[in-house]
Amino acid sequence: MNMLSSYLKLAAAYTSINFKSLLAYRGAFISQMVAMFINDSVWIAFWCLFFTRFPVVKGWGVNDVITLWAIAASGFGLAHVFMGNALALPGIIMRGELDSWLLYPRAVLPHLLLGKSSASAWGDALFGVVVYLLFVKPDLPHFILFLLLICSVAVLFIGFSVFTGSLAFFFGSAESVSVQLRFALITFSTYPSPIFQGFVKVLLFTLIPAMFVSHLPVSALRNMSLVDAAYSFAGAIGVLAMGVATFYFGLRRYESGNLMEMRG
Amino acid sequence: MSKYFYIALTSIRSKLAYVGEIGSKTIFLFVILYIFLCLWKVTYTETNQNALGGLTLNQMLWYLVVTESMILSLPPIATVVDQDVRTGSLATQLVRPLSYPLSVFANTTGERCLSFAINFFAGSLIACLFVGMPDLQLHNIPMFLLLLPLSFALDFSIYFLIGLSAFWLEDTTGITLIYSRLTMILGGMLIPLELFPDSWQQILRVLPFSAIVYGPARTFVTGDFHLFFYLIAQQLVAIFIFAFLIHVVYTTALKRVFSHGG
Amino acid sequence: MENAVSVNQLVKNFVLKKREGMRWTSSETTAVDGITLSIEKGQSVAFIGPNGAGKSTTIKMLTGILHPTSGDATVLGCIPWKERTRLARRIGVVFGQRSQLWYHLPPRDTFELLSKIYEIKREVFQTRRDMLIERFQLGEFLDTPVRKLSLGQRMRAEVACSLLHGPEVIFLDEPTIGLDVIARQELRDLISEWNRENGVTVFLTSHDAGDIQHVAKRVIVINHGKVVLDDRVSRVRRQYLREKVLSVKYADTPQSIELIGVKTLIESGHAFKFEVDTLAVPIERVMNEIMRAGSVVDITIEDPPLEEVIAHIYSTPPESDEEEGEEETDV
Repeated sequence: MNMLSSYLKLAAAYTSINFKSLLAYRGAFISQMVAMFINDSVWIAFWCLFFTRFPVVKGWGVNDVITLWAIAASGFGLAHVFMGNALALPGIIMRGELDSWLLYPRAVLPHLLLGKSSASAWGDALFGVVVYLLFVKPDLPHFILFLLLICSVAVLFIGFSVFTGSLAFFFGSAESVSVQLRFALITFSTYPSPIFQGFVKVLLFTLIPAMFVSHLPVSALRNMSLVDAAYSFAGAIGVLAMGVATFYFGLRRYESGNLMEMRG
Repeated sequence: MSKYFYIALTSIRSKLAYVGEIGSKTIFLFVILYIFLCLWKVTYTETNQNALGGLTLNQMLWYLVVTESMILSLPPIATVVDQDVRTGSLATQLVRPLSYPLSVFANTTGERCLSFAINFFAGSLIACLFVGMPDLQLHNIPMFLLLLPLSFALDFSIYFLIGLSAFWLEDTTGITLIYSRLTMILGGMLIPLELFPDSWQQILRVLPFSAIVYGPARTFVTGDFHLFFYLIAQQLVAIFIFAFLIHVVYTTALKRVFSHGG
Repeated sequence: MENAVSVNQLVKNFVLKKREGMRWTSSETTAVDGITLSIEKGQSVAFIGPNGAGKSTTIKMLTGILHPTSGDATVLGCIPWKERTRLARRIGVVFGQRSQLWYHLPPRDTFELLSKIYEIKREVFQTRRDMLIERFQLGEFLDTPVRKLSLGQRMRAEVACSLLHGPEVIFLDEPTIGLDVIARQELRDLISEWNRENGVTVFLTSHDAGDIQHVAKRVIVINHGKVVLDDRVSRVRRQYLREKVLSVKYADTPQSIELIGVKTLIESGHAFKFEVDTLAVPIERVMNEIMRAGSVVDITIEDPPLEEVIAHIYSTPPESDEEEGEEETDV
């Protein structure tokens, strides 16, 4: 418990200094946020157009897709507002910047992840909440469940980024592989889940865990199903555990110094 | 004219070094096309139709191959012009015996043609894998090949104009972003114009966005003569209007450069 | 006296993988090759050697970043690679090429954050911060974003940052790199002052021979991963660092300079390069002679390159220990 509060304080300290650092260039920060808003809006516009023509796709209506976008955008945003370095992990490992993080009296991974806040992620985080409130107009219980599910999705994105980023411990070209895998997760997460069947569906529950971002949270919200919400959380925790394990396994290789060519 | 052709060729040659990007773009296209294949398959089945907005599933996917390849190949035209204006290198360009707008056009369009070819090639392989060869008649191809450069020219002139606004505006990235997203959504990158609400279609057909993305892609898959002639006329008129605007803005801006020294 | 650092037969091998055609071959290189040393608490030690000699690798092992291939080491009684976090609270590290200051924010914010990272009690933090501000003269730029500071100011803040949690040992990896002569001297003074007055053990790496003379009492020279010299600075100075290189440019042909201990290395036109043995002749006298000989356009004084010093060490047998009066000939 002591440990938890100590790390929460650390998270608060980093969030405040990250925010200050973003505000040092207020204009750039705001324009990146707005850019993300516009970017995400294109997709909402697309889905609105699509569902005007075809009101139901395999049981999904426009509200479901907007809910999905709201959860995915906010979850992704939340994750990288607080832990923006998750996206930079492969670069940090490959450029040897891990060294500096190893010199602090803190657990390396959480400390390192807290080290940066992504400006555009603030846009994503806000966008999701705004769109959900504006289009879906939820009642209070739905909104509370929505907020919880955002956290679950955020945990999943962090876990997945840590997992893919940690591949850099094992092979050299991991940076682009990690970007591709993350892109695949995000893309598969933002379409109605019932359109994927068979082998791909299995893939989306495992290697690219998009179903824990799209399928389960949306169905949890639609039916107010706490069971589905629990599954979402379980999946997110599972992905995080996988990521953390891979990171610390890779860190052992890093500490042995045999990662790549090292200079004396 | 040959010197601009030479600039375009050089730009292509310098870009050939980045063929490594093909791999990552192929994965991107693969994921997008696969997802849309799933989405449209379900939609065709559920609506029990062979054609939606006049396109079969095969045509719908090939339509997407063209639009995605066009959007993905976009070079940062407005950024280039914006930077040239701000750093004052536009003023130094004026010393050379070249028209600045035309040399930027040659440079960026050369790059775009190569990039489009690569994306289109990768997208075609993927589409063949998913839905087979495109159902098209032979005459679609020359029609498409006529529309494509005009579409690039029109798109270029709008981005160039946005870039020039750097003479007056502090930041052009906002307008650039908004314009690019409008081309995506109103240009029909993801869904063809026929599937938009009926009342919108008349307006969208007049706006330049559809002449840039929707038009060439639709012509590629359907080969509709009526649409083709309409598009050629629309593109030429639009290019003429924007070229005129560029001329006015550019000469006004140059006066500013010469009177204020940049 | 108790040891702050003790190292016994420390070895670090790296496996290098290379691709030749289709085949991967791996070869082992030894970066650190059996280093043994111990440093008493409160000592200041310069750890020098040319690039690639194994300095950074040794520091990384002593701070727990790297695990050694074999051998033992303890820092403040901890085995660094086993008790890294525990040790981290008691040591400070400055990497000259890597900043822990937040680039867009004033140094004050970084101090604040560090107090949270190290969980320093509020009152302790405030008194220590204020003392550091005063001693390192950070007051004038404490609220200026780091990106607007000069490199010298930045390094002062950087070193102050790593002292904030009150470390008992401080590792400085090339802290003076890129600094101009004055900033370099200021930083050296601050480090040695902190060492004298607060009893912090200083472990400094550098490839600048000048850093040794000004900061450290003891110097350890390594080359090819081995300790080639471990001695008091005063002796090393007398024996290996007594030469200075003086480059002078005159407006016209000067009178010739004849002094014992001054050797002309290069002469071209009105420019000369002298080697001065500072034990044989005080640098001040040489300067006077040079000024007298003609109208000087330009002049620089440099330490000989470290590579030469090391070559010198290899070629000279160690002198017997004699503690007679030293001529202090600092410039």
